Amino acid sequence: MRLLGRARGADVMTQRPQRPRRPRRIVVVGNGMAAVRLVEALLARGVTDSITVLGAERHAPYNRILLSAVLEGTHRPEAITLRSREWYAGNGVELRLGCRVAAVHRDSQEVELADGSRVPYDRLVLATGSIPTLPPIRGVVRPDGRLHDAVHAFRSLDDCRRLLAAVPAARRAVVVGGGLLGLQVARALSVRGVDTEIVEGGGHLLRGHVDEAAGAVLQRSLERLGTRVYTGARAVRLTDAGSRVGLRLDNGFTLDTDLVVLTAGGRPSVDLARRAGLATRRGIVVDDTLATADPAIFAIGDCAEHGGTTTGFVPPAWEQAGVLAARLGGGTESYGGHRTVARLRATDLEVAVLGDRQQPAPEEDEVVQVSNPIAGVHKRLVVRGGVIVAATLVGDLTQIGVITQFFDRGTVLGRREPGALVTPPRSTPAAETVAAALPDDAEVCACAGVSAGRIRACGSVAEAAETTRATTGCGGCTTTVAALVAGPVDGLVGGTREAVSKP
Amino acid sequence: MTRRVKPNQGTFTHCPYCSLQCGMAVRPSGRGALQIAPWEDFPVNAGALCRKGWAAGGLRGSRERITTPLVRSREDGEWSAVSWDAALDLVAARLAALRATAGPDANAVFGGGGLTNEKAYQLGKFARVALGTSRIDYNGRWCMSSAASAANQAFGIDRGLPFPLADIEHADVVVLVGSNLAETMPPAARHLDALRANGGRVVVIDPRRTPTAERADVFLQPVPGTDLALALGTLHLLDAAGAVDEAYVAARTTGWEDVRSSVAAWWPERVERVTGVAAGELRALAGLLASSERVMVLTARGAEQHSQGTATVLAWIDVALALGMPGRPYAGYGCLTGQGNGQGGREHGQKADQLPGYRMIDDPAARDHVARVWGVDPSSLPGRGPSAYELLSSLATPGGPRSLLVFGSNVVVSAPNALAVRERLAALDLLVVCDLVMSETAAMADVVLPVTQWAEESGTMTNLEGRVILRERAVAPPAGVRSDLEVIAGLADRLGAPSTWSTDPEEVFTELRAASAGGRADYGGISYERIRAENGVFWPCPALPDGSSHPGTPRLFAERFATSDGRARFHAVDHAGAAEQPSPSHPLHLTTGRVLAQYQSGAQTRRIAELPDDGPFAEIHPTLADRIGVSDGDPVVVTTPRGSMTAPARVVPTIRPDTVFVPFHWVGANRLTNDALDPTSRMPEFKVCACSVVPAGPTS
Repeated sequence: MRLLGRARGADVMTQRPQRPRRPRRIVVVGNGMAAVRLVEALLARGVTDSITVLGAERHAPYNRILLSAVLEGTHRPEAITLRSREWYAGNGVELRLGCRVAAVHRDSQEVELADGSRVPYDRLVLATGSIPTLPPIRGVVRPDGRLHDAVHAFRSLDDCRRLLAAVPAARRAVVVGGGLLGLQVARALSVRGVDTEIVEGGGHLLRGHVDEAAGAVLQRSLERLGTRVYTGARAVRLTDAGSRVGLRLDNGFTLDTDLVVLTAGGRPSVDLARRAGLATRRGIVVDDTLATADPAIFAIGDCAEHGGTTTGFVPPAWEQAGVLAARLGGGTESYGGHRTVARLRATDLEVAVLGDRQQPAPEEDEVVQVSNPIAGVHKRLVVRGGVIVAATLVGDLTQIGVITQFFDRGTVLGRREPGALVTPPRSTPAAETVAAALPDDAEVCACAGVSAGRIRACGSVAEAAETTRATTGCGGCTTTVAALVAGPVDGLVGGTREAVSKP
Repeated sequence: MTRRVKPNQGTFTHCPYCSLQCGMAVRPSGRGALQIAPWEDFPVNAGALCRKGWAAGGLRGSRERITTPLVRSREDGEWSAVSWDAALDLVAARLAALRATAGPDANAVFGGGGLTNEKAYQLGKFARVALGTSRIDYNGRWCMSSAASAANQAFGIDRGLPFPLADIEHADVVVLVGSNLAETMPPAARHLDALRANGGRVVVIDPRRTPTAERADVFLQPVPGTDLALALGTLHLLDAAGAVDEAYVAARTTGWEDVRSSVAAWWPERVERVTGVAAGELRALAGLLASSERVMVLTARGAEQHSQGTATVLAWIDVALALGMPGRPYAGYGCLTGQGNGQGGREHGQKADQLPGYRMIDDPAARDHVARVWGVDPSSLPGRGPSAYELLSSLATPGGPRSLLVFGSNVVVSAPNALAVRERLAALDLLVVCDLVMSETAAMADVVLPVTQWAEESGTMTNLEGRVILRERAVAPPAGVRSDLEVIAGLADRLGAPSTWSTDPEEVFTELRAASAGGRADYGGISYERIRAENGVFWPCPALPDGSSHPGTPRLFAERFATSDGRARFHAVDHAGAAEQPSPSHPLHLTTGRVLAQYQSGAQTRRIAELPDDGPFAEIHPTLADRIGVSDGDPVVVTTPRGSMTAPARVVPTIRPDTVFVPFHWVGANRLTNDALDPTSRMPEFKVCACSVVPAGPTS
């Protein structure tokens, strides 16, 4: 029965005649956001292949990008769990947590676990994510290979919990790395009351995403929020000074601190694939079907390299998961790349970066830019043929809901639109219009269709209601009507918006 | 509370239009005209009326009223006036012949949410008993059916508002999702103002900054078709902040854990990208909800008329449940039903899958009960038929109906993908339309039967609160006009139908009470007398076995929900997006809605001189106007993959720049709309599809 159900599902997708076949064993290495999405999508399609998920962490899968929100305290840790163990069990999916994969044996189609046991597969999905890069700072790693007690990575829920546990006793912190994660962690620690500094080796903050001007605006905003930023400075050495540590920079400064958080980026986890002889560059190389060089092995998420790029963002990982689930279900969908929108999640720091790393603009690109460092605002749109192909928004996201829609949908804009999108909208004068200034033909009461002139001809609100029926519907124009029947008035009349905003 | 009848004040009744059913007094004023006066004691509107209500008498004495049955010649298209007997004989003979040659399902019936309870009841009975057809549905399917389906799933019962409308005034926060009540039902906005005067807050979610939004403390302006994602994001933030009412969830609901884990994937920045609502605005909304004691979530057509309409409403019900609101005083979830009898019209059997009392037609016990009241064999009752749009699109197709009787609906204007519907109607063997005026649908008919309007007949309506009210006859109908009940009885007699076919509304209501008794919408204990004495009675109101009087049920869910275990159900739903997404050829979103001075297809309101009829328009944002090179008032052509229409541009800064709005009271808007259906409610996706807008050429 289940087999038939599965085959029928495939028919719908491929329009091919029904062809029963034996269920396969799908093995997923990794249990991050791409992996859980893949399992959800496979189940949603009614795929009845056996599914085994091998996760290195001991937790049920969680929303990794919200770890800084947990650190900041806007999210309780339980709220970021994506799927419970019971959910996997209830859906017949084998979930093995705390399980490290040592090797992939392609000849025998097995993965070998750290304990030497083997798990056979018909289809193998590598969703191994990325691993944090440890900056070359002497003293950060202890001789036994573990991090110094005052030093924290920030990639996993365990990292987050360990850092949270250290926060109450900490007065000062240094975040190494001025990327998206670094800024989020820095803001989170600040919000928690820890005096926080950022060390960024590059010339400006968010240098992977924004240009120098935007980085400077951000730095200024952060400093206004009480976070000191050192750019162009590399941390070179951690010195132990009793209860605290010192982080020595290559510019000669030593930052006295209780905590050091390393957020200096990550790289796709490709080791397993490389040792299995699969093609890897920065990531595991996949084609539009998300297959590696071995047609039985696929890669999705941060570890995958498609079209020469790795992403590090959730939306493309989820789109890849959806495409792969469809293909494993017999569909013909393919993955054609993705538009990225990077958003900073941190209180009082508004940043959005649309499009890939901002390369120097090609000739045909037009750039519209408004920068106001004093107000902490920097907005930049890159437009190609009327279409927004990239954007940076710092400090003012009032138009983001429109800009991202135009960007995602490739909307061709008019000549004046890009400029209008980065200049603040003019305030609407209607709110505070003096009733006396209304022309006689302005409609005051939409419910009854009454103009200002007709109301001026009345002696009182009651008379206006009786003779014109103004105020007798929704009642929103009562204040305006009162002002109009009383004759010309000085000053402003409140509550007239709905009445006078109609043409 | 009783009616203060003053001398010469006339007859206390209710407005002929929307689901507020505003109380009004009506009295004849010379030569058959009607004068409208306020009725201060009716609590829903407390004397307030909008211009539609004030002008409700405008069709009295109108030259547009049809006062004799008309038959159209298929040869030359000419209309001939015929006697009632000739018209009814003709229709009955054609129906009988079709049934004899092609079976009972060859005849179909289409009803409306504006019909009184008595008419809706009698129409359902007529279809099942006199025609024996399963092919009956109604335009309410295009109104609030998604909310109905969601409420049934979540609460086990579908009553638009589970509390009186005036309860709004005592909430802390009212969230209006896709409702523009300040324009569509203006007197209702008074309750919002009272709420704000009491210190409460109003949240409005709409792609347009409407007059309702102008009254809001918090306004979110999402891309059309993304209210579901907004609800998921709200749930995400409520859970993140620990603002879920765990005690309530544990005691009164099931299914929260699935919802919780599925919304973990809807963080604000993801919602922002889908909905076009900045993450900060979503956080502000969640913060407001989390810090409020009494939250009311109200949905309307903007949230419901989607291919994911049911899921969207379920997600907003999830929000209300997570906050622990349904069943709490001055809080909970409700639907602002649209049509005058949108509520009652869906309870008494004109729906394809229902029998009176909100019974399901495939429930054997329901069939037994209703068949006993009707005095027929339960096995003679047909089963479930197709939904409204599916019914219309099956007309005159192989195996589909070959005749259609239309009561209280103007489908040529109101159906989605209306050009296709028009083609189906034109292909019928027989189209019969009962109407007051020559509506666009009547104009296509073979036979038009002129019927009474409001104030010329009596009957009950059930307003958006589930309050059963009485519209009393105030004047005699024009000569030559009959009531729908008389039409139904006349046809039933000629068809030799079993059972009885009263033409007296109160007698029909007595039968309806018996048929509804024991059902979810139990009217057993309601009488015309009680309605008059109590300003309406809220269902359920069963007849009590000891003969005492059930008080009716103004507020539901205080103790338990109407599910088998008494608990409300959370539903884990996910956002899939509109069925039709913008493309290079159709790069914008189209949404549709109402204007203040018109009602539904405009068959009545467009014919009333006191109501301005400026025709349709296309509302666009100044930046879009600038992009396509048009100014306010210039004609533009709006095109979707199904059709196009030309209308003047109305350039306003209150709409999203990526969205076009067209009102649906005129022919045109629904030539554009998408007929993608919700999987459970079968609601078409009126509220969003892809479109393009260009300046109209000089010739058009």
